Amino acid sequence: MDDQGCPRCKTTKYRNPSLKLMVNVCGHTLCESCVDMLFVRGSGNCVQCNTPLRKSNFRVQLFEDPAIDKEVEIRKKVLKIYNKRELDFPSLKGYNDYLEQVEEIVYNLTNNLDVEKTKQMMEQYQRENRDVIQRNKAKLTREQEELEELLLLEQQDFEQRRLQTLQDEQRQLQAKRKNKQALLDELESSQLPAALLLAQHKDRASQLETQIEKQKQNVKPTNIFSTGIMMGQTVSLAPVTRVEEVLYVYQPMHFDTYGPPIPELDQLGRLGYLNHVRTASLQDQAGGYTSGLACHRAVQDAFSGLFL
Amino acid sequence: MHHELIVLTKDYYMIKSMLLIFSSYFESTMYHNSSQKKFWTFDKEEALDKLRLEANQKFLSCAKAGINESMFLDQWEEKVLLRHYEKRLLDFCNIFKPAMPKSVVGTALMYFRRFYLNNSLMQHHPRIIMLTCAYLSCKVDEFNVSCTQFVGNLQESPAAQERALEQILEYELLLIQQLNFHLVVHNPYRPLEGFLIDLKTRYPLLENPEVLRKSAEDFLNRAAMTDAGLLFSPSLIALTAVLNGAARAGLKMEAYLTECMGLKGDKETLSKMYDSMRRITSLVKAYELPKIEEVNVGKQKLERIHAELATNLKRKHGYEDDEHVVKRQMVTEEEWTDEDLDEL
Repeated sequence: MDDQGCPRCKTTKYRNPSLKLMVNVCGHTLCESCVDMLFVRGSGNCVQCNTPLRKSNFRVQLFEDPAIDKEVEIRKKVLKIYNKRELDFPSLKGYNDYLEQVEEIVYNLTNNLDVEKTKQMMEQYQRENRDVIQRNKAKLTREQEELEELLLLEQQDFEQRRLQTLQDEQRQLQAKRKNKQALLDELESSQLPAALLLAQHKDRASQLETQIEKQKQNVKPTNIFSTGIMMGQTVSLAPVTRVEEVLYVYQPMHFDTYGPPIPELDQLGRLGYLNHVRTASLQDQAGGYTSGLACHRAVQDAFSGLFL
Repeated sequence: MHHELIVLTKDYYMIKSMLLIFSSYFESTMYHNSSQKKFWTFDKEEALDKLRLEANQKFLSCAKAGINESMFLDQWEEKVLLRHYEKRLLDFCNIFKPAMPKSVVGTALMYFRRFYLNNSLMQHHPRIIMLTCAYLSCKVDEFNVSCTQFVGNLQESPAAQERALEQILEYELLLIQQLNFHLVVHNPYRPLEGFLIDLKTRYPLLENPEVLRKSAEDFLNRAAMTDAGLLFSPSLIALTAVLNGAARAGLKMEAYLTECMGLKGDKETLSKMYDSMRRITSLVKAYELPKIEEVNVGKQKLERIHAELATNLKRKHGYEDDEHVVKRQMVTEEEWTDEDLDEL
């Protein structure tokens, strides 16, 4: 997780894991405190490669390898200019060639190869395709706006629903409280016997409950399933084809013992084997041992591999 | 690096029962789809000889220059020494305290045998490997001995025991590697139990199969000193042991195979089984302890080779830690030698 450490103050990164590394355009890292220190002195040169830097050029490092951050920055800048889309091209091959061109440019700039030539190529491209670039920029912004609008709508919807449920709950609570209060009042003032009043109160309470239940079930009918299929679409009712498979039948495992057949454990007593083995004492039997086990094992061992 | 494992008796039974329960559900614990059957069972003795010869040749070609050709061991001398060290391993396990279960001994011997199938004695001294095999076998077979307890069984000073322990721990990984990480060994002892149970249950012609137990166990112990474990399945070795014992006692047992095993109609399998059992019996009968003179000659050569290699290494690399030989060389010169292992 930790990089080798800030190249300048070295130790600070290990001691202070919350300290962030900043990357600049030349691809070298510096921790926050070193960046501040560097620009306090007024000189803005990278420690390792001595390229002149500005403080604004430092961005918080997102990736472990600073080279990747550098490439990401360059890519962003290049793609601002090279922003053609697939529909701008008549053929797929044309689009692919264009993409390869972009990759080459990014690669060259990242690894400082032919920087001049690449920059010239970029400028030329910019001049030639100015209107296309503009159009695509406009498209991009429009798309982003639409997305943002949708997100906003969703959020508003959610908020509304939440408020709605809160209000409903409040109302229900109030209704219950009113009911209770009404009961108390009636008990105080009315002439009717208490049992009758209690029965009436219970009636009203159950009525309220059913009302609440109905409200809960009265959800707004939607017209779209969560997967995007519209409700009410006719679905084919043709039967699904059955796959006929062979039913599994249990076959007990069979092992070749290369010897005569061995009597089963539960038959040993009946066959008389157990008369010739030491009977298990109470102490033995406590652990689950029976004389049949030892007998069976001995006979198994005697017969196994006899005919090999 | 010192392992300490204390298991309470009640937990021990629980663990044992769990092991038994689960092992019968997991087919992988049986011999018929074990790594032993797949990778460590060979068809003929010639295949084993070939592997050992290759290991021997490989060492000769990699050996450092400056050692006289005649100083090297050829495969016959290696065989003699192998038998000698196998016997030492068996003796070590037999006097081990606490008493080592038979399966642990069998596993240790099998590890030793497998290791020297693909490696030459001249490269790794069998003295260390044999202790490492025993140590690993205790761990794998869940015979819980602490490492200090383990080296306590060596008849040495505590300092020498400590040094031996260090060497064992060093060689442990090498051993596991050379076993290709196939650590589960199926011994014929449980199949023998199974046969005895089966005989008692299904073969009334034999009145008391228990009489066969002693000779069968003795047969199995002798079989563990041969290559039988690398050539035949453990159940077959156990069956051979049983039939051998029966034949000695003059008891007839063909009906067991034809009737109980259902081999009456299967002449081919039956003849194959008899054939294999004959081979096992001949292997066991053919085993004999190596002669003392040959052993001594071989050992002298072995020690010289190892010493020579160690000095070569020291000259080239100084006292670098990555060669086992360097460390061992210091030990052989100072403290324990084969004679220290002599309890008999």
